[in-house]
Amino acid sequence: MTGLALQVSDLRVSYGPKRAVDGVSLDISEGEIFGLLGPNGAGKTSTLSAIEGLLKPTSGSILIRQVDARAHPVLAKALIGVQLQSTSFQSELKISEIVKLYAGLYGVPLTKPAILDRLAEIHLADEASMRFSQLSGGQQKRLALLIATIHDPPLVLLDEPTSGLDPQARRQLWDRIERIRKSGRSILLTTHSMEEAQSVCDRVAIMDYGKILTVDTPAGLIEKHKDDPNVLAVARGQVTLEDVFIGLTGRELRE
Amino acid sequence: MSEPNAVRTPAVSLPLRAPALTEIFRALLEADFTVQLRNNRALLLSFALPLVVLFALFASKFYIALGDPQFRVASVLTLGMASIAILGYAMTVARDREKGVFQRLRVTPAPTWSIMTSRLVVQVAAILAMALVVLVAADLFKGVSLTAEAYLLTFICVIFSSALFLGVGQALAGLVRSADTLNAVGRFAYLPLFALGLFGQSTIFGTTFELISRWSPGGTVETLLTGAMNPSSWKSDTWLALAVCAAYSVVFAGIGIRWFQWGAR
Repeated sequence: MTGLALQVSDLRVSYGPKRAVDGVSLDISEGEIFGLLGPNGAGKTSTLSAIEGLLKPTSGSILIRQVDARAHPVLAKALIGVQLQSTSFQSELKISEIVKLYAGLYGVPLTKPAILDRLAEIHLADEASMRFSQLSGGQQKRLALLIATIHDPPLVLLDEPTSGLDPQARRQLWDRIERIRKSGRSILLTTHSMEEAQSVCDRVAIMDYGKILTVDTPAGLIEKHKDDPNVLAVARGQVTLEDVFIGLTGRELRE
Repeated sequence: MSEPNAVRTPAVSLPLRAPALTEIFRALLEADFTVQLRNNRALLLSFALPLVVLFALFASKFYIALGDPQFRVASVLTLGMASIAILGYAMTVARDREKGVFQRLRVTPAPTWSIMTSRLVVQVAAILAMALVVLVAADLFKGVSLTAEAYLLTFICVIFSSALFLGVGQALAGLVRSADTLNAVGRFAYLPLFALGLFGQSTIFGTTFELISRWSPGGTVETLLTGAMNPSSWKSDTWLALAVCAAYSVVFAGIGIRWFQWGAR
């Protein structure tokens, strides 16, 4: 039996009267890649933000490797690596200085050669003296992922890690995500891409209106919902994960 | 694709400890000092502007009406502090908030208070460096020399006064979310906060205006610093200025802490 990297129980997050996360519970095992799917405003980022400590939940519990994130936020944050939906760093800092800063914040002392080695791993050694804004979108995402994993955390949280990337950069990032998992870490990611969910995730949860509607492997979700009338109504031929997603969350546009 | 929930042995060494506060502070301070030194606007506001105004205030006999030489040097120090805190610090905070820099820092183990404390320490250091440059320039070029005791007292009062202006900067960053709006509001606030105090020793606009001017944030700091530069003339008004300065600092810092938002939305 594998251990749990993350246990979220009955999590609720509210913005004033609006409940963004409404009783979400999920477990992620060691070495598992777990995907959160949902339309805009479904509560994916709010769920992640609560786990990251950016939002204070109104109720519920969050255990990261058995550490209560609400009671011990500093230790919990040391156990996770985070890639936010859009990442930005101080514009005056060079790439190598950004890596040094974030390594230092996790108590990982890195020498200059060690920083260059880390940057070389993501093919950014030549850009070490550049500023973050001078990097391409793909390079920025690679750097953000490097910083999220600079301290070898057991759990990595990725909020739409491949949004805005071209297919080549997306595939490269999937390979990196797979390598992170192979090194024994667990990953919780949000995505709008069904292709990404099917290619990368071991299990997927579909969320809407702050609740988890269903959880299973991508293939398991298709099998479980292939005869659902709502799913069949939107399917064009063989039922896909996207059909299941739209069938469960509806066709209407979300803000 | 591997099987879901597959059992794997973690290959990574797990950091089951929170980083020490000293490690966090070292990293933050190093980055914040680098940012300050690379920021041309901050350097301009810290050194060039006060020096230009110092020479201007001693260039014309018209400015003698404003007050004695110590008062005019105190006015320059006040201008430097207001510039660094309001146009420099508050603007940088608003810009970084808008870009999401703070949110990225907040998902690390760094406590939120350490993120802001590090920035404030760097601003106080910038203010002290500005004060040193202005006092040395005033001594070398304008003959306003201080005793060792006066230097020490002035630096202590500069640190004390910087709390007032950094409190104002924090309050502005707390009340105004957008960096563009804060840029405009900051320039507007800068005038009453600094320029009003210039007339704290002059009755050219009448005694009521002089009284308002003297106890405005800028005027209070100028009274305090003028007293510090000449310790033998430290009097009850200087003590009162110290108390008023502390009160202003508490009020502005309180507003800044109460209404500050880490995110732009």
